[in-house]
Amino acid sequence: MAKLIMFHGRECPHCKVMMPLVDKLEKETGLSIEKLEVWHNEKNADLMRSYRDIIEPKCGGQLRTPTFFNTENQDVICGEMEYEKLKEWASG
Amino acid sequence: MKKFYRCHVCNDIHYGVKPPEICPTCSAKNAYVETNSDEAIKICSYTTKSINKQEFLKAIEALSENKEFQVNPDKEKVSMLIEGIFQNEKNHGLKYCPCRLSSKDPKKDLMLVCPCRFFIHETYKNKPDGECWCGLFIRRKENG
Ligand code: SF4
Repeated sequence: MAKLIMFHGRECPHCKVMMPLVDKLEKETGLSIEKLEVWHNEKNADLMRSYRDIIEPKCGGQLRTPTFFNTENQDVICGEMEYEKLKEWASG
Repeated sequence: MKKFYRCHVCNDIHYGVKPPEICPTCSAKNAYVETNSDEAIKICSYTTKSINKQEFLKAIEALSENKEFQVNPDKEKVSMLIEGIFQNEKNHGLKYCPCRLSSKDPKKDLMLVCPCRFFIHETYKNKPDGECWCGLFIRRKENG
């Protein structure tokens, strides 16, 4: 089954904006999105780095937060976005 | 290649491809002599002073003065970002951007020290309402 991950930063304002949308999405769809903080948790940071080759080309050549990553179809989106776009990503 | 230079009059340290002709600290002319990094770092370490969050805010406001960008007037956002920048300095050694992750390549990660070269971010470049990736800096508004 696809694993949906949100890589986020504790002091990242874009992540703060997206967090309630992620919560809403989980409630509405029953999907679960794993929220992994990357600046205060080295394990999460290394996991994000391990997907560098997939994430960077789609996010301005960088590891930005928030990054939404679908481990199955490797679909990546990052930054702030409308709820509908997030939902589209999560639904694969 | 960047090198270290020391003003032989006042011990000002310059790190760059070539030193300034006039020392910005003591105004001596053609006073810089090439030095090694150990000496330069030692000299700097005798005079370093850490900068607190308020001073950092003042510094980035000074940087923005009369420029086409300004510090975001959204104080809550700025304060969250500065908190992250200082957390990163405490935990990871430098004032890394709170909205991008380091690569663990220290040289490459120098591009993530705040303020970064955000003019090239696609969130800023050619955008009338451009922002640095985090939104710490925004393009200056007409009346701002
Ligand atoms: S994107 Fe903004 S907050 Fe991040 S390092 Fe650059 S200037 Fe600083």
